[in-house]
Amino acid sequence: MRALIAAATGLAVALALVLTITAMGSPTGETSPKPLLTTVPAHP
Amino acid sequence: MRRKASLILLALAVFFAALSPLLRWYAFPRLAKIPAHQYQDMVLEAKDATLLDYGTMKARKVSKVTIVQTLKGNVEASEKIEKTAGKDVVVWDGLSYVVGPDGKMVSKIPERYIFDAHTQEPVHATGEMVDGDPVRREGIEFKWPFLTEKRDYEYFDAQARVTAPIHYKGTRDFRGVEVYYFEQTIPWTKVKFPRTMPVEGITPESVAKTGTTRWYTTVRKFWVEPLTGAPVYGEEIHKEELRGGTLLGDREKVTAFAGHVKMREDYIDHTVDLVKSNRTLVLLMTSYLPWGFLGLGILLLSLALCLEARGRRPADPGPTQAAEPEPLNA
Repeated sequence: MRALIAAATGLAVALALVLTITAMGSPTGETSPKPLLTTVPAHP
Repeated sequence: MRRKASLILLALAVFFAALSPLLRWYAFPRLAKIPAHQYQDMVLEAKDATLLDYGTMKARKVSKVTIVQTLKGNVEASEKIEKTAGKDVVVWDGLSYVVGPDGKMVSKIPERYIFDAHTQEPVHATGEMVDGDPVRREGIEFKWPFLTEKRDYEYFDAQARVTAPIHYKGTRDFRGVEVYYFEQTIPWTKVKFPRTMPVEGITPESVAKTGTTRWYTTVRKFWVEPLTGAPVYGEEIHKEELRGGTLLGDREKVTAFAGHVKMREDYIDHTVDLVKSNRTLVLLMTSYLPWGFLGLGILLLSLALCLEARGRRPADPGPTQAAEPEPLNA
Protein backbone atom coordinates (compact mmCIF):
# COMPACT_ATOMS: atom_id res chain seq x y z
CA MET A 1 0.00 0.00 0.00
CA ARG A 2 2.84 2.40 0.91
CA ALA A 3 4.59 1.58 -2.37
CA LEU A 4 1.41 2.49 -4.26
CA ILE A 5 1.16 5.83 -2.45
CA ALA A 6 4.82 6.57 -3.23
CA ALA A 7 4.32 5.78 -6.94
CA ALA A 8 1.15 7.89 -7.09
CA THR A 9 3.00 10.81 -5.45
CA GLY A 10 5.78 10.63 -8.04
CA LEU A 11 3.25 10.58 -10.87
CA ALA A 12 1.25 13.47 -9.42
CA VAL A 13 4.34 15.64 -8.96
CA ALA A 14 5.48 14.93 -12.54
CA LEU A 15 2.03 15.84 -13.89
CA ALA A 16 1.86 19.00 -11.77
CA LEU A 17 5.32 20.10 -12.90
CA VAL A 18 4.64 19.62 -16.61
CA LEU A 19 1.21 21.25 -16.43
CA THR A 20 2.66 24.25 -14.56
CA ILE A 21 5.52 24.72 -17.02
CA THR A 22 3.27 24.50 -20.07
CA ALA A 23 0.65 26.77 -18.49
CA MET A 24 3.29 29.40 -17.76
CA GLY A 25 4.44 29.41 -21.39
CA SER A 26 7.00 31.91 -22.54
CA PRO A 27 6.90 35.71 -22.45
CA THR A 28 5.49 37.33 -25.61
CA GLY A 29 8.04 40.12 -25.86
CA GLU A 30 7.61 43.37 -27.75
CA THR A 31 7.59 44.30 -31.41
CA SER A 32 11.11 45.13 -32.49
CA PRO A 33 11.72 48.84 -33.04
CA LYS A 34 14.00 47.97 -36.00
CA PRO A 35 12.58 48.92 -39.40
CA LEU A 36 11.90 46.74 -42.42
CA LEU A 37 15.13 47.12 -44.36
CA THR A 38 15.41 49.20 -47.53
CA THR A 39 19.21 49.12 -47.65
CA VAL A 40 21.59 46.23 -47.99
CA PRO A 41 23.01 45.35 -44.55
CA ALA A 42 26.79 44.91 -44.37
CA HIS A 43 26.50 41.83 -42.19
CA PRO A 44 23.86 39.70 -40.41
CA MET B 1 15.12 3.05 7.36
CA ARG B 2 15.77 0.94 4.23
CA ARG B 3 12.04 0.69 3.70
CA LYS B 4 11.69 4.49 3.77
CA ALA B 5 14.61 5.02 1.36
CA SER B 6 13.23 2.49 -1.11
CA LEU B 7 9.84 4.23 -1.05
CA ILE B 8 11.47 7.62 -1.77
CA LEU B 9 13.46 6.03 -4.61
CA LEU B 10 10.27 4.50 -5.99
CA ALA B 11 8.50 7.87 -5.97
CA LEU B 12 11.47 9.47 -7.77
CA ALA B 13 11.60 6.60 -10.27
CA VAL B 14 7.93 7.09 -11.15
CA PHE B 15 8.44 10.87 -11.26
CA PHE B 16 11.24 10.67 -13.85
CA ALA B 17 9.68 7.82 -15.84
CA ALA B 18 6.42 9.78 -16.11
CA LEU B 19 8.26 13.00 -16.97
CA SER B 20 9.85 11.35 -20.01
CA PRO B 21 6.73 10.89 -22.22
CA LEU B 22 5.03 13.96 -20.72
CA LEU B 23 7.93 16.14 -21.82
CA ARG B 24 8.08 14.68 -25.32
CA TRP B 25 4.39 14.42 -26.20
CA TYR B 26 2.68 16.95 -23.92
CA ALA B 27 5.13 19.74 -23.09
CA PHE B 28 7.12 19.92 -26.34
CA PRO B 29 4.19 20.54 -28.73
CA ARG B 30 2.96 23.27 -26.38
CA LEU B 31 6.30 24.90 -25.61
CA ALA B 32 7.91 24.78 -29.06
CA LYS B 33 6.71 27.86 -30.86
CA ILE B 34 7.89 30.78 -32.94
CA PRO B 35 8.22 33.85 -30.70
CA ALA B 36 5.74 36.56 -31.67
CA HIS B 37 8.39 39.30 -31.49
CA GLN B 38 11.01 37.69 -33.73
CA TYR B 39 12.89 39.99 -36.13
CA GLN B 40 15.08 38.63 -38.86
CA ASP B 41 16.65 39.80 -42.06
CA MET B 42 18.15 37.93 -44.98
CA VAL B 43 20.21 38.99 -47.97
CA LEU B 44 20.08 37.09 -51.24
CA GLU B 45 22.04 37.85 -54.38
CA ALA B 46 21.69 37.08 -58.07
CA LYS B 47 25.07 37.51 -59.74
CA ASP B 48 25.29 38.17 -63.50
CA ALA B 49 21.54 38.68 -63.66
CA THR B 50 19.38 40.15 -66.42
CA LEU B 51 17.37 43.22 -65.51
CA LEU B 52 14.99 45.40 -67.47
CA ASP B 53 16.03 49.01 -68.02
CA TYR B 54 12.71 50.84 -67.78
CA GLY B 55 14.27 53.88 -69.54
CA THR B 56 14.97 52.01 -72.77
CA MET B 57 12.64 49.08 -72.10
CA LYS B 58 15.50 46.74 -72.95
CA ALA B 59 16.94 43.89 -70.89
CA ARG B 60 20.58 44.27 -69.87
CA LYS B 61 23.14 42.16 -68.05
CA VAL B 62 24.02 43.46 -64.59
CA SER B 63 26.73 42.34 -62.19
CA LYS B 64 24.40 41.80 -59.25
CA VAL B 65 20.85 42.17 -58.02
CA THR B 66 20.35 42.06 -54.27
CA ILE B 67 17.18 41.06 -52.43
CA VAL B 68 16.85 42.19 -48.82
CA GLN B 69 14.14 40.30 -47.02
CA THR B 70 12.97 41.37 -43.57
CA LEU B 71 10.46 39.63 -41.33
CA LYS B 72 9.24 41.44 -38.25
CA GLY B 73 6.93 39.92 -35.66
CA ASN B 74 4.04 42.26 -34.91
CA VAL B 75 3.18 41.49 -31.26
CA GLU B 76 0.18 43.86 -31.00
CA ALA B 77 -1.44 42.40 -34.15
CA SER B 78 -0.80 38.81 -33.00
CA GLU B 79 -2.36 39.46 -29.57
CA LYS B 80 -5.42 40.95 -31.25
CA ILE B 81 -5.87 37.93 -33.56
CA GLU B 82 -5.18 35.45 -30.72
CA LYS B 83 -8.31 36.71 -28.92
CA THR B 84 -10.58 35.46 -31.72
CA ALA B 85 -8.42 32.58 -33.02
CA GLY B 86 -8.05 31.02 -29.55
CA LYS B 87 -4.47 29.90 -30.21
CA ASP B 88 -0.94 31.24 -30.26
CA VAL B 89 -0.57 33.29 -33.42
CA VAL B 90 2.42 34.95 -35.05
CA VAL B 91 2.04 37.91 -37.39
CA TRP B 92 5.01 38.54 -39.62
CA ASP B 93 5.16 41.86 -41.46
CA GLY B 94 7.63 41.27 -44.25
CA LEU B 95 9.32 43.28 -46.96
CA SER B 96 11.15 41.99 -50.00
CA TYR B 97 13.24 44.91 -51.19
CA VAL B 98 15.11 44.40 -54.46
CA VAL B 99 18.13 46.57 -55.21
CA GLY B 100 19.90 46.91 -58.56
CA PRO B 101 23.69 47.15 -59.06
CA ASP B 102 23.50 50.96 -58.76
CA GLY B 103 21.86 50.68 -55.33
CA LYS B 104 18.51 51.87 -56.64
CA MET B 105 15.25 50.16 -55.81
CA VAL B 106 14.01 47.66 -58.41
CA SER B 107 10.92 46.57 -56.54
CA LYS B 108 9.52 46.36 -53.04
CA ILE B 109 6.79 43.99 -51.99
CA PRO B 110 5.37 44.13 -48.47
CA GLU B 111 3.34 41.26 -47.09
CA ARG B 112 1.64 40.10 -43.92
CA TYR B 113 1.81 36.42 -43.03
CA ILE B 114 -0.30 35.16 -40.12
CA PHE B 115 0.25 31.64 -38.81
CA ASP B 116 -0.09 29.27 -35.86
CA ALA B 117 2.99 29.70 -33.65
CA HIS B 118 3.23 25.95 -32.96
CA THR B 119 2.27 24.27 -36.25
CA GLN B 120 2.99 27.04 -38.78
CA GLU B 121 -0.45 26.41 -40.27
CA PRO B 122 -1.77 29.63 -41.84
CA VAL B 123 -4.33 31.59 -39.83
CA HIS B 124 -6.78 33.71 -41.79
CA ALA B 125 -7.52 37.15 -40.43
CA THR B 126 -8.01 40.65 -41.72
CA GLY B 127 -4.71 42.09 -42.79
CA GLU B 128 -3.32 38.95 -44.44
CA MET B 129 -1.92 40.37 -47.68
CA VAL B 130 0.75 40.58 -50.34
CA ASP B 131 1.60 44.00 -51.75
CA GLY B 132 -1.65 45.39 -50.38
CA ASP B 133 -3.84 42.69 -51.96
CA PRO B 134 -5.80 40.47 -49.55
CA VAL B 135 -4.70 36.83 -49.95
CA ARG B 136 -5.63 33.53 -48.39
CA ARG B 137 -2.62 31.29 -47.83
CA GLU B 138 -3.30 27.57 -47.71
CA GLY B 139 0.26 26.52 -47.08
CA ILE B 140 3.43 27.43 -45.23
CA GLU B 141 5.78 30.26 -46.14
CA PHE B 142 9.39 30.97 -45.11
CA LYS B 143 9.50 28.25 -42.43
CA TRP B 144 8.55 24.58 -42.09
CA PRO B 145 6.90 23.13 -38.95
CA PHE B 146 8.97 21.79 -36.08
CA LEU B 147 9.86 18.11 -36.68
CA THR B 148 9.51 18.45 -40.45
CA GLU B 149 8.50 15.22 -42.17
CA LYS B 150 9.90 13.60 -45.31
CA ARG B 151 6.90 14.52 -47.44
CA ASP B 152 5.60 17.21 -49.76
CA TYR B 153 4.21 20.38 -48.20
CA GLU B 154 1.94 23.10 -49.53
CA TYR B 155 3.95 26.30 -49.98
CA PHE B 156 2.59 29.77 -50.69
CA ASP B 157 4.11 31.71 -53.59
CA ALA B 158 3.84 35.43 -52.87
CA GLN B 159 4.46 36.54 -56.48
CA ALA B 160 1.76 34.39 -58.05
CA ARG B 161 -0.39 34.47 -54.88
CA VAL B 162 -0.96 30.73 -55.20
CA THR B 163 -0.33 27.76 -52.94
CA ALA B 164 1.37 24.83 -54.66
CA PRO B 165 3.17 21.68 -53.50
CA ILE B 166 6.83 21.89 -52.58
CA HIS B 167 8.33 18.44 -53.03
CA TYR B 168 10.61 16.58 -50.64
CA LYS B 169 13.57 15.47 -52.78
CA GLY B 170 15.77 13.70 -50.25
CA THR B 171 18.01 14.10 -47.23
CA ARG B 172 21.31 15.92 -47.67
CA ASP B 173 24.22 17.18 -45.63
CA PHE B 174 24.60 20.95 -45.66
CA ARG B 175 27.76 22.18 -43.93
CA GLY B 176 27.58 19.46 -41.30
CA VAL B 177 23.82 19.73 -40.73
CA GLU B 178 21.42 17.00 -41.87
CA VAL B 179 18.76 18.72 -43.95
CA TYR B 180 15.72 17.84 -46.04
CA TYR B 181 15.85 19.24 -49.56
CA PHE B 182 12.60 20.65 -50.99
CA GLU B 183 11.88 21.97 -54.46
CA GLN B 184 8.92 23.80 -55.96
CA THR B 185 8.40 24.82 -59.58
CA ILE B 186 5.96 27.58 -60.40
CA PRO B 187 5.27 27.42 -64.16
CA TRP B 188 4.93 30.60 -66.23
CA THR B 189 2.09 32.48 -64.56
CA LYS B 190 0.61 35.89 -65.28
CA VAL B 191 1.18 38.04 -62.19
CA LYS B 192 0.35 41.54 -61.06
CA PHE B 193 2.76 44.43 -61.42
CA PRO B 194 4.18 45.55 -58.06
CA ARG B 195 2.39 48.59 -56.63
CA THR B 196 5.70 50.41 -56.36
CA MET B 197 7.45 50.57 -59.73
CA PRO B 198 11.17 51.40 -60.09
CA VAL B 199 10.58 54.50 -62.23
CA GLU B 200 8.69 57.52 -60.99
CA GLY B 201 5.56 58.26 -62.95
CA ILE B 202 5.03 54.64 -63.99
CA THR B 203 2.25 52.94 -62.10
CA PRO B 204 0.75 49.45 -62.44
CA GLU B 205 -2.40 51.13 -63.80
CA SER B 206 -0.50 53.09 -66.47
CA VAL B 207 1.32 49.92 -67.58
CA ALA B 208 -1.94 47.96 -67.64
CA LYS B 209 -3.42 50.55 -70.02
CA THR B 210 -0.73 49.68 -72.60
CA GLY B 211 -1.87 46.06 -72.59
CA THR B 212 1.50 44.78 -71.40
CA THR B 213 1.34 41.95 -68.90
CA ARG B 214 3.88 40.56 -66.43
CA TRP B 215 4.73 36.85 -66.34
CA TYR B 216 6.79 34.90 -63.86
CA THR B 217 8.28 31.46 -63.32
CA THR B 218 10.55 30.15 -60.60
CA VAL B 219 12.23 27.04 -59.28
CA ARG B 220 12.41 27.41 -55.52
CA LYS B 221 14.88 25.31 -53.52
CA PHE B 222 15.10 24.99 -49.76
CA TRP B 223 17.47 23.05 -47.52
CA VAL B 224 15.48 22.60 -44.29
CA GLU B 225 16.82 21.47 -40.92
CA PRO B 226 14.07 19.00 -39.93
CA LEU B 227 14.02 19.37 -36.12
CA THR B 228 13.54 23.14 -36.11
CA GLY B 229 11.89 23.36 -39.55
CA ALA B 230 14.18 26.26 -40.36
CA PRO B 231 15.65 26.60 -43.84
CA VAL B 232 19.45 26.84 -43.55
CA TYR B 233 19.83 27.70 -47.22
CA GLY B 234 17.66 28.75 -50.14
CA GLU B 235 17.98 29.35 -53.85
CA GLU B 236 15.63 30.48 -56.58
CA ILE B 237 15.98 30.33 -60.35
CA HIS B 238 13.72 33.24 -61.04
CA LYS B 239 12.53 34.67 -64.39
CA GLU B 240 10.14 37.51 -65.14
CA GLU B 241 8.95 38.74 -68.51
CA LEU B 242 6.80 41.55 -69.83
CA ARG B 243 4.62 40.34 -72.68
CA GLY B 244 2.57 42.09 -75.37
CA GLY B 245 1.07 45.55 -75.36
CA THR B 246 2.21 48.81 -76.87
CA LEU B 247 4.95 49.28 -74.25
CA LEU B 248 7.16 46.71 -76.00
CA GLY B 249 6.74 48.10 -79.51
CA ASP B 250 7.00 45.31 -82.03
CA ARG B 251 8.52 42.83 -79.57
CA GLU B 252 6.45 39.99 -78.20
CA LYS B 253 8.21 39.86 -74.86
CA VAL B 254 11.15 41.24 -72.92
CA THR B 255 12.95 39.84 -69.88
CA ALA B 256 12.23 41.94 -66.79
CA PHE B 257 14.45 39.87 -64.51
CA ALA B 258 16.35 36.62 -64.81
CA GLY B 259 18.79 35.36 -62.25
CA HIS B 260 19.91 32.57 -59.99
CA VAL B 261 19.18 33.96 -56.52
CA LYS B 262 21.31 32.58 -53.68
CA MET B 263 21.75 33.44 -50.01
CA ARG B 264 24.76 35.66 -49.31
CA GLU B 265 27.68 33.74 -47.80
CA ASP B 266 27.79 35.60 -44.44
CA TYR B 267 24.05 35.01 -44.00
CA ILE B 268 24.49 31.30 -44.70
CA ASP B 269 27.09 31.04 -41.90
CA HIS B 270 24.89 33.06 -39.54
CA THR B 271 21.81 30.95 -40.32
CA VAL B 272 23.65 27.63 -39.95
CA ASP B 273 25.03 28.70 -36.53
CA LEU B 274 21.60 29.88 -35.37
CA VAL B 275 19.86 26.72 -36.55
CA LYS B 276 22.50 24.52 -34.92
CA SER B 277 21.91 26.16 -31.53
CA ASN B 278 18.09 25.99 -31.87
CA ARG B 279 18.42 22.37 -32.99
CA THR B 280 20.13 21.53 -29.68
CA LEU B 281 17.18 23.03 -27.77
CA VAL B 282 14.70 20.93 -29.75
CA LEU B 283 16.84 17.82 -29.27
CA LEU B 284 16.90 18.53 -25.53
CA MET B 285 13.09 18.46 -25.41
CA THR B 286 12.50 15.62 -27.86
CA SER B 287 15.42 13.30 -27.19
CA TYR B 288 18.08 14.09 -24.57
CA LEU B 289 15.77 14.85 -21.62
CA PRO B 290 13.05 12.22 -22.35
CA TRP B 291 15.60 9.42 -22.80
CA GLY B 292 17.70 10.68 -19.88
CA PHE B 293 14.68 10.81 -17.56
CA LEU B 294 13.54 7.36 -18.67
CA GLY B 295 17.00 5.92 -17.97
CA LEU B 296 17.10 7.65 -14.60
CA GLY B 297 13.64 6.32 -13.77
CA ILE B 298 14.69 2.75 -14.57
CA LEU B 299 17.89 3.15 -12.53
CA LEU B 300 16.02 4.53 -9.52
CA LEU B 301 13.41 1.77 -9.77
CA SER B 302 16.16 -0.86 -9.79
CA LEU B 303 17.72 0.74 -6.70
CA ALA B 304 14.35 0.89 -4.97
CA LEU B 305 13.70 -2.80 -5.69
CA CYS B 306 17.19 -3.72 -4.56
CA LEU B 307 16.76 -1.91 -1.24
CA GLU B 308 13.33 -3.41 -0.77
CA ALA B 309 14.66 -6.93 -1.42
CA ARG B 310 17.44 -6.41 1.10
CA GLY B 311 14.98 -5.11 3.66
CA ARG B 312 12.83 -8.20 3.29
CA ARG B 313 15.72 -10.73 3.53
CA PRO B 314 15.38 -12.76 6.79
CA ALA B 315 17.84 -11.71 9.54
CA ASP B 316 20.85 -13.92 10.38
CA PRO B 317 19.89 -16.59 12.84
CA GLY B 318 21.11 -15.76 16.41
CA PRO B 319 22.85 -18.12 18.79
CA THR B 320 20.65 -21.15 19.50
CA GLN B 321 19.33 -21.41 23.04
CA ALA B 322 20.02 -24.60 24.96
CA ALA B 323 16.91 -26.63 25.46
CA GLU B 324 15.61 -26.39 28.97
CA PRO B 325 16.07 -29.67 30.81
CA GLU B 326 12.85 -31.45 31.30
CA PRO B 327 11.85 -31.74 34.92
CA LEU B 328 12.67 -35.07 36.31
CA ASN B 329 9.81 -37.00 37.67
CA ALA B 330 10.86 -39.45 40.18
